Amino acid sequence: MILCSLRDIVFGYENEPVIRNVSADIHAGEFIAVSGPNGAAKTTLLKLMLGLLKPWSGTVQFTAELGRSRVSYVPQQAASFNSGFPSKVIELVRSGCFPELGLFRRFSREQHELVEETLKAVGLWELRNRKIGDLSGGQKQKACIARAIVQQPDLLVLDEPVTGMDAASRIHFYEWMQQLVKQEGRTVIMVTHGLDEAQAYLDRVIYLEGKEESDVSI
Amino acid sequence: MFQYEFMQRAFLAAGLISLIAPVLGVYLVLRRQSLMSDTLSHVSMAGVALGSVLHLSPVLCGFLFAILGGIVIEQLRRTYRSYSEVPVAIIMTSGLALAMVLMSLKTSLNKSFNSYLFGSIVAVSETQLIVIAAVTVIGLLFFVLLRRPLYSLTFEEDTAAVSGVRVKLLSFAFAVVTGMIVAAAMPIVGVLLVSSMIVLPSAFALRFAGGFASASVLAVATGMIGVFSGLTASYYTNTPPGGIIALILLAILLMGIGVKRIVKLGAKRRIAKTGTHSSQKTHQTTQTNQTLQEGALK
Repeated sequence: MILCSLRDIVFGYENEPVIRNVSADIHAGEFIAVSGPNGAAKTTLLKLMLGLLKPWSGTVQFTAELGRSRVSYVPQQAASFNSGFPSKVIELVRSGCFPELGLFRRFSREQHELVEETLKAVGLWELRNRKIGDLSGGQKQKACIARAIVQQPDLLVLDEPVTGMDAASRIHFYEWMQQLVKQEGRTVIMVTHGLDEAQAYLDRVIYLEGKEESDVSI
Repeated sequence: MFQYEFMQRAFLAAGLISLIAPVLGVYLVLRRQSLMSDTLSHVSMAGVALGSVLHLSPVLCGFLFAILGGIVIEQLRRTYRSYSEVPVAIIMTSGLALAMVLMSLKTSLNKSFNSYLFGSIVAVSETQLIVIAAVTVIGLLFFVLLRRPLYSLTFEEDTAAVSGVRVKLLSFAFAVVTGMIVAAAMPIVGVLLVSSMIVLPSAFALRFAGGFASASVLAVATGMIGVFSGLTASYYTNTPPGGIIALILLAILLMGIGVKRIVKLGAKRRIAKTGTHSSQKTHQTTQTNQTLQEGALK
């Protein structure tokens, strides 16, 4: 099933196009990397896909079955945006349940368990009562990823998620994402420069070669 | 002091505002919009001046101008995404310039503008009290009912948008609520010091609170202490309440920072002492190991 379809996307900043006629299909249950040199508009492509930017021309279509609350996104170096945020780690990760809970519903026991499991999976359970600003860059990144996972998305979009992580954490992260895709049927798209390391876990690579895109299947 | 009706009104108004202004402050500081309250108070003063010149209600005009200013700042913030302080500077200058020109058209109003500039206990009328009560209720409903989307929005706008928060609508609603609270707080602390009641308690709370919800609670408690003690001091010393409230809140903030520094320094010294002790121990152990190795070699 095609989750998201991009057709003939053209987009640029000021008067300079950075993406020209890019088309791609995102299938359900894939682990995809978007890669390419600096300035190849990888982040821009993700933002166009997520509706955060509007293309000059072309279309982005999501399958009707994919509700808005079933997509979660972790931007590039997400945690550095608001390092003085006064939340505890567990408070931040719990907020991943907000789209499902709406304005008034209380947290269920399953959601509390999911938060605990996810925090343990990223190795932050012991630090759950620390303030998010007191964590290292890599730990903050993990907390933001945990928050996105807790949302239980059908489509998980990650922009350079392993930045700041040590080698062991990166491998553990790729294994975890692969498990989400293979065992839980979720779809993961991530921007990465570390293709060599991630390649073994991926289903497909969308390679942007500056203004153009080539689809590489692994 | 409470035998006077105007003092009862002033305390009631100040109590209501200190329930809501510091909560707004927490969000403004985290959204890097600390100066927005200051800007809107200047815009609101232009509204008050226009109301006086056109023989309309100055309170209502000031109120509407503050809301309008909030909306314009939000719109400009989207235009100047990379320079978030630019819209604030543009609107602050425009508001102040307009107020100055309008005030010069009606020089007889200069005296009453003084109370808008610096705040005055007697400036709180029955109508203003009703307005403040209504704003407090609206503000509390806004921050309590929408606390989850507001949390997501404050943490990061793009992730909030992707997870279904209507970012643009919520941001504009936030700007409107900000304008309302600023206009309502003006009679108490005055145009020039309105942000002291909004920003200082939250600046204190954000340094000490353990979590997001507790930051709001601590900010409200700090605001209440500052406002009530400031009003009392203002009554007995016959000084403008805005200045006294701002000075008390500043003193609380500085004391808090000082105490935290001392505690941190003490903790650092303790750790350094323990560290030196343990490193001495390690050194001794290494020496013993070396002696043992030397012994074995012999």
